[in-house]
Amino acid sequence: MNTVPIAAYISVSAVLFALGLLGVLSRRNPLLLLLAVELMLNAANVALVGFSRFHETTDGQVFALVVMVVAASEVVIGLGLVVAVFRQRLELNVDLMSRMRG
Amino acid sequence: MNVLAWIVLGLPFVAFLILLAPPKEPPRKLTRALAVAPIGIGFLLSVTIFGVYLSRPGDERLEVSSLWEWIDIGGLPVDLAIQVDDLTVYMMLVITGIGSMILLFATDYMEPDRDYRRFFAEMNFFVFSMLLLVMAGNFFFLIVGWGLVGLASYLLIGYYYDRPSAVAASKKAFVINVIGDVGMVLAAFLLVRELGTLDYGEVFARADSELGQGTGTSEAIAFLLLVGVAAKSAQFPLHTWLPDAMEGPTPVSALIHAATMVTAGVYLIVRCQVLYQNAPIASDTIAVIGAITLFFAATIAFMQEDIKRVLAWSTVSQIGYMIMGAGLGLYGAAMFHLLMHAFFKALLFLSAGAVIHALAGEQSLNRMGGLRRHLGWPTLGFLVGAFALAGIAPFSGFFSKDEILEQAIELGAFGISLAVVGTIGSVMTAFYAFRAYFRAFEGPDREGGYGHLHRTNWRMVIPIAVLTVGAAFAGWVQVPSGWHLIDDWLEPAFLAAPDVKATVTSEVIISLSTFVFGLAAIGLAWWMFGRGSEWRLRHANVLPGVRRVVEDQYMLNEVYDEVFVKSGKDLGDAMARDVEPGGVFRSVKTTVGVFLAAAAGLRWMQSGLVRSYVFVFIVGAAVIAAVVILSGVI
Repeated sequence: MNTVPIAAYISVSAVLFALGLLGVLSRRNPLLLLLAVELMLNAANVALVGFSRFHETTDGQVFALVVMVVAASEVVIGLGLVVAVFRQRLELNVDLMSRMRG
Repeated sequence: MNVLAWIVLGLPFVAFLILLAPPKEPPRKLTRALAVAPIGIGFLLSVTIFGVYLSRPGDERLEVSSLWEWIDIGGLPVDLAIQVDDLTVYMMLVITGIGSMILLFATDYMEPDRDYRRFFAEMNFFVFSMLLLVMAGNFFFLIVGWGLVGLASYLLIGYYYDRPSAVAASKKAFVINVIGDVGMVLAAFLLVRELGTLDYGEVFARADSELGQGTGTSEAIAFLLLVGVAAKSAQFPLHTWLPDAMEGPTPVSALIHAATMVTAGVYLIVRCQVLYQNAPIASDTIAVIGAITLFFAATIAFMQEDIKRVLAWSTVSQIGYMIMGAGLGLYGAAMFHLLMHAFFKALLFLSAGAVIHALAGEQSLNRMGGLRRHLGWPTLGFLVGAFALAGIAPFSGFFSKDEILEQAIELGAFGISLAVVGTIGSVMTAFYAFRAYFRAFEGPDREGGYGHLHRTNWRMVIPIAVLTVGAAFAGWVQVPSGWHLIDDWLEPAFLAAPDVKATVTSEVIISLSTFVFGLAAIGLAWWMFGRGSEWRLRHANVLPGVRRVVEDQYMLNEVYDEVFVKSGKDLGDAMARDVEPGGVFRSVKTTVGVFLAAAAGLRWMQSGLVRSYVFVFIVGAAVIAAVVILSGVI
């Protein structure tokens, strides 16, 4: 069986992470921000699963599952915030949401 | 027996809780029942325990019972334990017996009061605390009970909380009692350090060998306990709270400040006799303090115009006798006098209370006179009580007071000199007791007559009658050269007591002198006060300086005010004026200022811009990663 080398996993993971980071830094829409964060988390997942294959243990896969659960929870809260902001008829722009009062 | 003893202890506490529970004043009939019944039942159960113990040989009259381990800290386990021995049963009988009579009296005395329920709740709480004090099986719960009776006393002295003098008196009593508590706690600390236990049984068994005879530790423990004794039993120089405590309702004065709580000091010395026999200096000090107290309190009682204050000072003086006896090692005689005193002083207070009740709150002897013709039972009660207090044969005080003096004579020059003081004090007692009697009950009516007098009903008369019988005849349980039932009963508790027996000579000397001089003093009192106020008013200005000093109770209150209260206030003022603005405020303000400045400097970092946070975070992570990799840690 032709195995995929570890370098390939890490490369994909690095590319995904960089894309996500770029998204977080450049986008102002909170929805897209969430997507970008999700991308970064999945980059981590790819790396975890890749290392899990490399070391031939299941620890990395377990971690990947945990990350998915955390990511789901995080999205729930994030979307909740987005909906709350939307209901206030405010502009969906994270730079404008910089004040916690009012 | 243990179960019965626990029930005796628990009943007043349960009654206290039940009385407190309802949000509004419960029906008075219910309050009355809950007030008197627990203590009455407690008395019957105590009698049962007494009966059972009586049928046992002396060395089996001791049972220790523990409910559970209360705490266990640093290898010092303390059980919630009671010890029921002959001394405990003796005190239980006094507390519940006299207590039930006084509470029955109080149900009528307090009738006009609007806070009926609170009074009886607090009284039951007091009885519970007092029982805990005497039944405790270790020093820990002794001190708990010791503190709780102080609390109950505070609550009841300040019962009329709308009277500033009552509130001041209650605070004074509390503070002085706490001084005593501190002494007790320090003594307990020493015991823990030296013996590693607070259990009565162990402490007393090991005290002889491990603390040693006359060593510094033994003396220190005894002296620290003495502080507690002096504060609780109103002995010189910590006596000043007791006369002020008369601000409480009269049944409170009768129960707490005459019959039971103030005798706790005597109980403590007798309980800790093993410790005191190892501390001769402390014991002698106690005897001297008792002698000083009994004498000077008697002189102050000469000058009091308030009928309750006469009795208060006589209480201080009589406890002086007990303390003196206990200090000399005459434990049996001291406990005998404790019981007799409980009878006649409760009787005197209840009779005075009936008078005060009849006169709608009047306490001044100046506004009394000729009451004999208006009030039957209170007059008889007060007369018998006064005879007993004066130590005139055959009333109860004669037997007990003389026993202390007779046995003291057998103890060498020291004992003889104290006995002389005691004998003089006894004559003075006869004088002031009958001064009060003659001025209140004999002679012509007060000016303007009495008009309507509140009637005394059966709930007042029965306690007075019972206590009259007690004060008149109880002394016969212990007759010189005849029989001595009290000593016999207490014998097992006094295994180490010196076997002092009065000789016939000393008995004759003391009995004759107290009797003859006592009668002479009564005659003198009659000559001076028995025929109306004429003589008194004519001589009111003799020796004004001396009168002033004695009336002011030798200025001790003023001295304490000057030395402790005023200096404390001055210290507080100085702290508020000088230390607080400069020290506390400045340092607090400086601290706050530092944080405010720091916050102002760092506030720009909290921009609220999520993306800039992410950027800083990533850069930071990258820098840390670079440092880690380049430094070759991995």
